[in-house]
Amino acid sequence: MTDTEKNNMPFRIKDCTLIVRMAGLREAMNLRELEERISTCPVECLFHHFCETVIRPTFDDPDYSNDFAQWASRQLRDRILAERLANINPYKFDSLEELRKATLDIIQERLSELDYIPWAPNGNVFNFMQAVTVVYDTGILINSIKDLSDQLPHMSHGSIYYHFVEARRRTECGVDDFSVWLSDKKEETESLVKALSEIDFYFLSLAELKQTLIDTVCGFVTGEIYA
Amino acid sequence: MHRTLPEYEAIIGPVSASKLKQVAADLKGARVVHVNSTREGGGVAEILFWMIPLMNELGLEASWEVIEGNPEYFNTTKSFHNGLQGNKVVLTDRMIRAYEDTVAANADRLRPVLQEADFVIIHDPQPAMLHELCPNRKGKWIWRCHIDVSKPNRKVWNYISSKVDGYDVSIFSMPDFARKLNHPQFIIAPSIDPLSDKNVELSEKEINRTLAEFEIDHDRPILCQISRFDRFKDPIGVIQAFKLLNGAFNAQLVLAGGGATDDPEGAAVLDEVMDAVEGDDSIHVLMLPPDAHKTINALQRASTIIIQKSLQEGFGLTVTEAMWKHKPVIGGNTGGIRLQVHHYHTGFLVNTPDGAALRIRKLLSRPDLIDIMGATAKEFVKENYLCNRQLRENLTLMLGLRRGLSNHLITD
Repeated sequence: MTDTEKNNMPFRIKDCTLIVRMAGLREAMNLRELEERISTCPVECLFHHFCETVIRPTFDDPDYSNDFAQWASRQLRDRILAERLANINPYKFDSLEELRKATLDIIQERLSELDYIPWAPNGNVFNFMQAVTVVYDTGILINSIKDLSDQLPHMSHGSIYYHFVEARRRTECGVDDFSVWLSDKKEETESLVKALSEIDFYFLSLAELKQTLIDTVCGFVTGEIYA
Repeated sequence: MHRTLPEYEAIIGPVSASKLKQVAADLKGARVVHVNSTREGGGVAEILFWMIPLMNELGLEASWEVIEGNPEYFNTTKSFHNGLQGNKVVLTDRMIRAYEDTVAANADRLRPVLQEADFVIIHDPQPAMLHELCPNRKGKWIWRCHIDVSKPNRKVWNYISSKVDGYDVSIFSMPDFARKLNHPQFIIAPSIDPLSDKNVELSEKEINRTLAEFEIDHDRPILCQISRFDRFKDPIGVIQAFKLLNGAFNAQLVLAGGGATDDPEGAAVLDEVMDAVEGDDSIHVLMLPPDAHKTINALQRASTIIIQKSLQEGFGLTVTEAMWKHKPVIGGNTGGIRLQVHHYHTGFLVNTPDGAALRIRKLLSRPDLIDIMGATAKEFVKENYLCNRQLRENLTLMLGLRRGLSNHLITD
C-alpha cells in the first residue's frame, strides 16, 4: 500500500458485543484459593476481570476498577488488599503474564502480613470468568478528523470499547485504533495523537471515556485546544 | 399477539435496535429450532413467545417445537427439575424408561428438522436426550438451562449430565447456577418483555380499577411483595417488617401470589401468613390466578415500594419487573436479587425483617429518594434486563459458534 493510499484509507467503525463464559476453574472461597487460581487461570480470564469490567453494567465506584479488588473489599472485607489491587493499571504491563505476576505479588505479600486467611461469607465466592468478544462492522466510514468528531457522539459504548480500550491488546504498538489511523493521515495530527495517548482511560466509565474523546477530538477540530 | 421490532425500538431506542440488526445480519437464513416442554405457562414459554418472532423478523428462520408426553413422563421430568434444584427425589428405573421412551418417540417425529437445523436450542432437562438421538447433526446444539443446578441431587445430575455433555455449549442464567460440563458454559441472564401483559404501560384508570377491586386505598403508601406463598420468599418476614413500622406513614402491605391451593406446602404457608396477619386490615393477602398478569402489573405500578425479601431466590424476575415500573426494591441479599438491587442506587439489600423495616422507613420518609432510585432502576433495566439484550447475547453466541469460539476475539 502506497503512502497516498494509506492517507486516504477511511476508518471503519466497528462495534462489538461480549458473551461471558465460565473459565473452567473452581471458585475461590478465600484469599489462598484466589492466589492459587490466579496463578493458573488462562490469560483471557485475567483480561476479563481487569479490563472487560468496563463494558459490564455496574454502579460500582470506579476506584475499584477490577473484580479482584472489588471482591477483596466487599467479600473478604480487606480494604488494604483492595486498595493495593485497585491500584494496578493492567495497561501498564507489556504482557498479561506480567500482570499476573504483579497481582500475585500483591496477594502473596498480603498473605504474609496476615495471621489468618480471609474467607468470603458463605455463597459469596469468586467465580472465574472469561469472555468472547464478537466484532461486527457497522458499515459507517470515517474519512476525516471532522467526520470523526461528528460521529463520536453517535458511537455505541461497544464501539468506544473496541476501538479505544480493546485495541491496546490488538494493535502492534498497544495503542488505540484512532491513533493508528490518525498516524497514517496526511493531516497534521501529532498533537491529537498525543492528546489521545494522555487520556487515563482505565479509571473512566465508557460514558465518561466517550465524553472525554468527544471533547478531545472536537477541541482539535475547532482549534480551541490545539490551535 | 406478537409484537414487532419497531414496537420494541420505540422502547429500547434506535442504537440498541440497530445493534440487534447488525449482530443478526451474519445469521440471516440460519435455521434455529427451539425445543421445550410446553407452549403455554412457565418462564421458558414466555421467553420463546417473544424470541421466535423477533428472530424471524431479524432474518433467521426460527421455529419452536414442543415435546409431547404422557403424565408419567411429566412426573419424571418434574422429579428431574426438583432433583436438579437439590431436593430429595426418588428416581426409579421405570421413571427413566418413561422419560427415554417419550423422548425417543419425539425424536422420531423431530429428527429431520433437528438434524438439518443450523442451531438447536434445547431448553431445560425435559428434551435433553434428543441430542444423542439425532446422530447426524448438521448444526450446533445448545443446552439452555434455566434452573439453578449448583447443588443438585447427585443421582439426577449424573443422569442429566450424561445427556448434555455432548452438546456444543450450554447456557446458564448466573455463574452461581452453573455446573461443570464437558463443554464451554456461557452466562446469559434472563430478561423481561416490556410489551407483555406483565409489563406493558397501564392507564391510571386500569390501575385504580385493580385497587378498587381489592379494596386497597389509593391515597396511602403501598408496600407490595409479589410472589407465591413459599417459605423461601419469606412472607412472614415481610409481615414482621411491616409490623415493626407500628402504623407509621399509614402504610398498607399487599402480599399477592398464587398457586398455593394445589400445593400442600403452599397451603400451609398461606395459613401461617393469615395467622401472622392477625386480622390487620392494613395487610391485603391476595390469592391470584396464574394468568393475572395485568392485575400484578397494576399492583406493582400502584406500589410505592416493592419488597422481595426472599431467603433464597433464582434470578428474581419480579424484581426486574418492579424496577422497570420505576420502583425502588427492598430485596433479600440472595441470588439474582444481588445483581439487580444495588444499595442506594436501585434499592436496598436486607438480611432481616428489621433491615427491611429500617429501609422502608428510610424510603417513606424520603419521597425524593423513591423517585431517584425508581428512575435509576428503570434505566438499569432498560440497559441490561430487557429482552433485546437477552436476544443479542443469544445471537452473539450463535455467531461465535459459527465463527469458532477458540479465540478471545471473533472478527468478521
